Amino acid sequence: MSVLAALLLIYAAMVFAFQYAVLTRQLFHDEVQDVITAEGLLFFDSQGRLQLREDYFSRPQSHLLVDRMMEVRNLNGDVLYRSATLRGMPLGGPNRTGEGDVDFDAHIVRLQDGSHVFMISHIHSIQGRTMLIRLGYSLVPMRERMFQFFLLLLIAIPLALVIAAVAGQMIAKRALRPLHQMATRAEGITASNLNQRLIIMNPKDELGQMGRVFNHVLDRLEQAFHQLQRFTADAAHELRTPLAALRTIGEVALAKGQDSAEYKEALGNILEETGRLNETIESLLLLARAEATGVEGDKTLFVVSELVNEVLSLLEILIEERRISVVQEHESLGRAYIRANRGLLRIAIVNILHNALKFSPNGSVLRISYARPENVAPHLRVTFQDQGPGIAPGEHQQVFERFFTSPAHDTASKSGSGLGLSVAKLVIDRIGGEIRFDQKTQVGAKCIMTLPISK
Amino acid sequence: MGSIRSRILIVEDDRKMSAALVSGLEAAGYEVVAASSAEEGFFLVHTLRPDLLLLDLTLPQRNGLDILRQIRQEGTDVRVLILTSHNTVEDRVEGLRIGADDYLGKPFSFPELTARIDALLRRFLSPSPSSFMDIGDLSIDTRNRTASRNGEQLELTAREFDLLLYLAENHGRTVSREMLAKDVWREHSRFTPIDNVIDVQMARLRKKLDDPFEVKLLQTVRGLGFSLREPQA
Repeated sequence: MSVLAALLLIYAAMVFAFQYAVLTRQLFHDEVQDVITAEGLLFFDSQGRLQLREDYFSRPQSHLLVDRMMEVRNLNGDVLYRSATLRGMPLGGPNRTGEGDVDFDAHIVRLQDGSHVFMISHIHSIQGRTMLIRLGYSLVPMRERMFQFFLLLLIAIPLALVIAAVAGQMIAKRALRPLHQMATRAEGITASNLNQRLIIMNPKDELGQMGRVFNHVLDRLEQAFHQLQRFTADAAHELRTPLAALRTIGEVALAKGQDSAEYKEALGNILEETGRLNETIESLLLLARAEATGVEGDKTLFVVSELVNEVLSLLEILIEERRISVVQEHESLGRAYIRANRGLLRIAIVNILHNALKFSPNGSVLRISYARPENVAPHLRVTFQDQGPGIAPGEHQQVFERFFTSPAHDTASKSGSGLGLSVAKLVIDRIGGEIRFDQKTQVGAKCIMTLPISK
Repeated sequence: MGSIRSRILIVEDDRKMSAALVSGLEAAGYEVVAASSAEEGFFLVHTLRPDLLLLDLTLPQRNGLDILRQIRQEGTDVRVLILTSHNTVEDRVEGLRIGADDYLGKPFSFPELTARIDALLRRFLSPSPSSFMDIGDLSIDTRNRTASRNGEQLELTAREFDLLLYLAENHGRTVSREMLAKDVWREHSRFTPIDNVIDVQMARLRKKLDDPFEVKLLQTVRGLGFSLREPQA
């Protein structure tokens, strides 16, 4: 508000100054015109006295002309003519040297009665006699008008400020009304009606853009929420399956009676099922942990191929047992540093390799190749290609879903918790990488992992 | 353990868990007392002077860590093994920092629990690591990392030897896959699926250790794990 007041004051001062200048200039012009006219009307009468022809008036009759003050002097300073409006007072002091010589020069002079007069002087010759014509208009009317103008401004500024404040508030209120409506609607959106969206009046203005962004957030939130709901249901189902087995095994053993060998068998069975249950719970916890791990977290710098080799040596006995040959291509390219949570990435790679080995036939080849794709920011691509049954059409995305086990292949005997690849995907996504199965591969499965590497 | 049985105090609020632990540890030859609340446990620590405290962290009313803190502040001489289902690294570090001697996440395998208890109580006794170990006709030279049966040298890989040594150190006891993963493979993530790695490795060891001989030393205990011992007649 004070800024607005200051601006208004500056504006008023400028308008005032401009108005004053314009009026003064107008006065000057009028006077010049008047001098030229008066010069034509001055004459010496038969007695040799200078007279002004009063029978001529420009029309419309201006009070400026009526009120004008005029004095004609000869070059010695003797007053030859003095208009009645001067009431005998001299107009200005003695002649100044060069006064009105070349042009009309303007001065503000003070009369004896104290009023100010805007006066111009001009040298002119009448009937062969050179004389100095002084013509002046009183400044009193103009100053009065300027004073009125000043008063007007003085009243107008506070008034303008009040109006601006009221109008500003009204405009702001109207402008913010959609925002209020949005806020009210947003407040009403909870988990139970996540499908609701904000109504966007104008998608092009800032508010509309904000609304769109908010709706987009709601979209993702709703998606995540549905995913969570499905996941919870899936998890409950996955936990119920081994639980059902536990119960049945126990009940059957009890019902059958006291054969200690059978009891032993049943208990062993039960313990194995608890192992399965535990594995599922551990991987659920791991998923939760990986999800909670921010982009930061405990990161270290390490070489990718070293990690892959470490995992290979962990699984070496399986590879050997199944007589699988592991072929590594362009391993030197894999000597790239990555900054990530090593433990989590290790688990991801164990899962990928474990999965590949699980489906590899005995005596087959597992090919691991490294590449640095060009035209992308520094990335390392690691490809794991097995010679197993491959991925059924349409399941290339699904294999990463939690608890997914393919109905297409006879994998029932081989499937684990159904979380291994989800864990791998989550971890790699979090690192900023990407993992997918190549859809064009005909023989076996080709898992492509792309990781961002450090320079 | 000698002639004096070590006394163990269990502070665990889950009745079934507590009963199972009592029965299992009594069968393993310990004198066992159970408490179901922190207050009771704290009282028993002072009156019974147990050698070892099995402490559950999530107890009603008072947190297990509180008791531990108090016991350590008083300077009571008792080994403490924490049992809890909150088994993140941070929980573990917190427990050990306050003064627990060991930490076991639930669910655990019972053989692992007894192994840890034995290890903790053994710290009192003089450790006598002999460089030779004999189990039946199997003898292991820990210094030269060789093993033989009936005087016949076994050709073992480094990992196979580590596995055999670990089994021998736990002679007579069952070791679980979790213990093997942690202590032999040094896999600290419980998620890493190396059960089949262990099974294959075990099968190979068995082929070298037992297949050529009449007496089988390496036993598979269904649902529990493995054990190296002479078969009872």
